[in-house]
Amino acid sequence: MSTNRSITQLPESPSVRLSTWLLLGAMILLVIASFLGLRWKIQEFFTLDALRTTKEFLTGFAPPDFSSSFLKKGLQATLETLSMSALGTIIAGVVGLLLALPASGRAGATARAGVRSVLNVLRAVPELVWATILLITAGLGPFAGTMALAAHTTGVLGRLFADALENSSPLPEQSLRDNGVAPFAAFLYSTLPQALPQIVSYTLYRWENNIRAAAILGVVGAGGLGQMLKYHLSLFQMHQAATVIIAMLALVAGVDAMSFWLRRMLTR
Amino acid sequence: MLELKKINKRYVDGRPLIVDLNYRLEPGEFVAIMGDSGVGKSTLLNLIAGLDTPDSGQVLMDGVDIASLGDDASTRFRRARFGFVFQAFHVLPHLTLLQNVGLPLLLNGLPLDAAQKMLDAVGLKDRGDDFPSQLSGGELQRVAIARALVHRPSLILADEPTGNLDPDTANDILMLLREELKENGASAIMVTHSIAAATMADRILLMTKSGLQPAPQ
Repeated sequence: MSTNRSITQLPESPSVRLSTWLLLGAMILLVIASFLGLRWKIQEFFTLDALRTTKEFLTGFAPPDFSSSFLKKGLQATLETLSMSALGTIIAGVVGLLLALPASGRAGATARAGVRSVLNVLRAVPELVWATILLITAGLGPFAGTMALAAHTTGVLGRLFADALENSSPLPEQSLRDNGVAPFAAFLYSTLPQALPQIVSYTLYRWENNIRAAAILGVVGAGGLGQMLKYHLSLFQMHQAATVIIAMLALVAGVDAMSFWLRRMLTR
Repeated sequence: MLELKKINKRYVDGRPLIVDLNYRLEPGEFVAIMGDSGVGKSTLLNLIAGLDTPDSGQVLMDGVDIASLGDDASTRFRRARFGFVFQAFHVLPHLTLLQNVGLPLLLNGLPLDAAQKMLDAVGLKDRGDDFPSQLSGGELQRVAIARALVHRPSLILADEPTGNLDPDTANDILMLLREELKENGASAIMVTHSIAAATMADRILLMTKSGLQPAPQ
């Protein structure tokens, strides 16, 4: 194809249609309407009174309670939160992978649609709502919290695993099947290894999320650091609450670092 | 050996694809099948491998009617008796070359030491620990040939094995396939559009709507 245009000349910008401008305008109007509808009182944050009470509240946390008896209690709650998140993620990883097999279409279109609907329901209900439901049935404590994390995370991981399996190249598995390899062995040798780096990466990422979620779940009585924080805040024991917040920050930072390191190790 | 008896296969919409096809492959024979696109060459390979079933007729391998085998029996039969070479190689990317070649041995419960010998035979002696991403197309097809032959199958089915290779590499690969077939005493059926590739076989057959005939010289 011949052209008079110099090869260094950039192509002309595509013309923008009127409907695009109208859509952009409507979106800007929606953003403005959202701010107006919220009765945003941002100026109240910066009044002298607000600044004084905030200062009083924050200085109330100092110094944190580092007594050995309280640190011992804090360590136990930290381990409980860590266990809840790890167990919840492991259960979700195993169940999610099992559900991802039919959800990736390996058992036909009907099973795919049915299992994906189940995963959607599990995912659509937040951990806090699952925890509230399970606290009623299983009672207060870390078991309900763990199961709440497992239920929501199964929905998330099941969907992500199914997509990873579906996006894997089918040719290696087909060639193994042609060569007389049984269906499950062909899956294990070809499709699963292709999706494994993503599966590992998603699981570790969800573990990071579940650490934070486990701390929050404690507030509704599901055990761990969250429950301890709620207890001390409700009694205005701010020094103890400060120690719990420091423990939460340290736990999240530690798990983030470990997860980052593990992902690099396992997916490179 | 392999005998095709009055094979008939229709398209899904009922149009005839293969009509009353008969053929007998002799032990150790290397046959190339040529023909127009859509004449049913790849379908024929699938019927021979038991990956598809004829509407009527029999595919007999050493007297066993492949179509009469159940799914599991057909899978086991294919695993033990056939080797496949594909145009797109289909080498598993996450396994080393040695693991790729050793896979049929592992799945058939055979000693794994044959894998290294087979890699040596196809000229990849010191590459066993390499991964497929480190190989050229010609080298990948060598691995595929080694994998197809390592468990000593009696029949190799090759679908356009040189379709992705340049002419010189294709010639080398077919020379290698030919040598290894003789060495292992296996037969082979190769589907190809390339006249140069077909001339490497013992016999060239032309597939038409009338069946398989010897190609004109």
